[in-house]
Amino acid sequence: MGSLRLRLLAVTVVTLSLALVGAHVLLTDLFRDHVLRQFDTTLSQQLDQLTAQLEFDANGTPSLSASSLVDPRWVKPHSGLYWQLDALANDRTLQRGVLRSRSLWNTELQLPLDTLPNGTLHTHELAGPKGETLRVAERSLATGQRTHTHWRLVVAADRSSTQEAIARFNQVLAGSLAVLGVLLALAAWAQVVVGLAPLRSVQRALHAVREGRAQRLQGSSPTEIQPLIDGFNSVLDLNAEVVAPARTQAGNLAHALKTPLAVLANAARDANSDELRALVAEQVPLAQRHIHWHMVRSRAAATTHVPGQRADIAPVVQGLLRVMNKVHADKAIDACMQGVDPHAAFAVEAQDLQEMLGNLLDNAWRHARSRVSVATHPTPDGLCLTVDDDGPGIPPNEHTKVLQRGVRSDETQPGTGLGLAIVVDLAQLYGGNVPLATSPTHGLRVSLALPSAT
Amino acid sequence: MRLLLVEGDNTLRAQLHRALGAAGYAVDQADNGREALFLGDTEDYDAVILDLGLPALDGLSVLKRWREHDRRHPVLILTARDNWSEKVAGIDAGADDYLTKPFHTEELLARIRALLRRAAGQASPVLHCGALTLDTRTGRVALNDQAVSLTSHEYKVLAYLMHRPDAVVSRSELTEHIYAQDFDRDSNTIEVFVGRLRKKLPPQTIQTVRGLGYRLTAP
Repeated sequence: MGSLRLRLLAVTVVTLSLALVGAHVLLTDLFRDHVLRQFDTTLSQQLDQLTAQLEFDANGTPSLSASSLVDPRWVKPHSGLYWQLDALANDRTLQRGVLRSRSLWNTELQLPLDTLPNGTLHTHELAGPKGETLRVAERSLATGQRTHTHWRLVVAADRSSTQEAIARFNQVLAGSLAVLGVLLALAAWAQVVVGLAPLRSVQRALHAVREGRAQRLQGSSPTEIQPLIDGFNSVLDLNAEVVAPARTQAGNLAHALKTPLAVLANAARDANSDELRALVAEQVPLAQRHIHWHMVRSRAAATTHVPGQRADIAPVVQGLLRVMNKVHADKAIDACMQGVDPHAAFAVEAQDLQEMLGNLLDNAWRHARSRVSVATHPTPDGLCLTVDDDGPGIPPNEHTKVLQRGVRSDETQPGTGLGLAIVVDLAQLYGGNVPLATSPTHGLRVSLALPSAT
Repeated sequence: MRLLLVEGDNTLRAQLHRALGAAGYAVDQADNGREALFLGDTEDYDAVILDLGLPALDGLSVLKRWREHDRRHPVLILTARDNWSEKVAGIDAGADDYLTKPFHTEELLARIRALLRRAAGQASPVLHCGALTLDTRTGRVALNDQAVSLTSHEYKVLAYLMHRPDAVVSRSELTEHIYAQDFDRDSNTIEVFVGRLRKKLPPQTIQTVRGLGYRLTAP
């Protein structure tokens, strides 16, 4: 079973049902027992009363004065309350109904022949004259005279009234227990919902991390769940701690290498040897390319596997446009970013998006005549950002070549010749790609296709 | 044109100082952020070259404080930090241009020329004042397409005036922007340079505004 809630509910409902059924069985038994005992008590009292009224004459002939019995059911035919006196001779012949109540009319209670010690009380059940079930109490009597006859005095009453009571009790009990069961099930459901609510909030917090809206799991939870959240957050922190020094170290290394390179390049300009000047002029940019290339790669490789990354596109484009307008202030470029969805975001690290987009825009500015436009388009796999310029463009048969490391499309323009290659490399680390095409204004269109952050 | 060069690396700073001096700029230097902040706050520079990785106070903070103090001199950030995020941060802190190390000295000089030009509201690298032209890229001055031969100090005075045509420039302002801070200044020498310039240029090109200074107008 997949759902924790269903599992908890199922266990609760099954246990509850078993307990309620058990309670029903037990209570019904107790009630039946109690009712029968009450019935038997009444029977035995009636038997006592009859025993007291029973008289024997000198011959040992029994008589019972009917006038002393007040209950009208003794005389009403087939009323459901009967008495009968049986005689049991020594030769074990049974004479039933020596004396009997009027209510028996012309029938007799067909009791089995059983010998009981004198004076003991004995109850059993029997079919009555109307076919009803009778509860019977019998007592053996000895007259003490020499007739050697045992007497058996029997009182029987219809027990259907007790059965009705028991049935009604069963009904009421079953109804009550069912209502109780439903209420308890509702309570259990409420408990599960309330109890599992913190898990839902953890789920939402995780969702936020996955979508890049949060760096850690937010909010406080009950003491049972908090350790889980703390543990998860410390894993996220550890991840970030591993990534942050990787970035800083890459930056520090680059900084440490580039200033000496600048010194070297400047010193070589003043050198007497043409050969040395040429060599340094060739090697310094090469070293710079390697530094930049590996710095970007190492930094990106450290970050691409961090969960919950999100880079909003519009602010990154706006920031970079400010840079372009300053750095390329001598070129009057009309920049258009109306096609950028203000809510669009890539599932990448923001600095990496800046790196990719910075290189694309820088290229566009270098080659554009008057206009650069940026737009976003949703794709089946994610999101695609296009940068169009109205420059000379690149012939389609050279598209593959310019995406390679260190190849410059235009040797007359300054640049490292790495820009596009870095973009392609970074995009591929994130599972994206960078197709080239011709822009509507016959310049170059560079697309950046990357996973979208929801 | 007077520049402030802020660079933490001594060798590179010395090289740049030499190259900028050779290009005709008066250059003050600082090797740490605190000194740079003080100089930028108290002296008038036509442009500043600012490294970001500085001792005492980092370059970005220096730049932000200048802008907070309403110091508007153009700033070119010259740094080894070449991430686009750092460029955005630099430009947003108030920089006017961004150049990453290693760099070609020629590119740095071209960018400084462009910065100075933009700050003066000039679009072209060749400044015009009537028949008089000054090519900031080559330092060539011509009158009616005939080259005019100038000494470096005469060039500095003329270049400063040509960046501000028709504006009255005081003698002290000229002194401030022609000489570096540690130079033994004598404003009287400015008069000497202006006198020599006047002999090489058509009459009334450099006018004296009594009590205020000089004004360059088209001859």
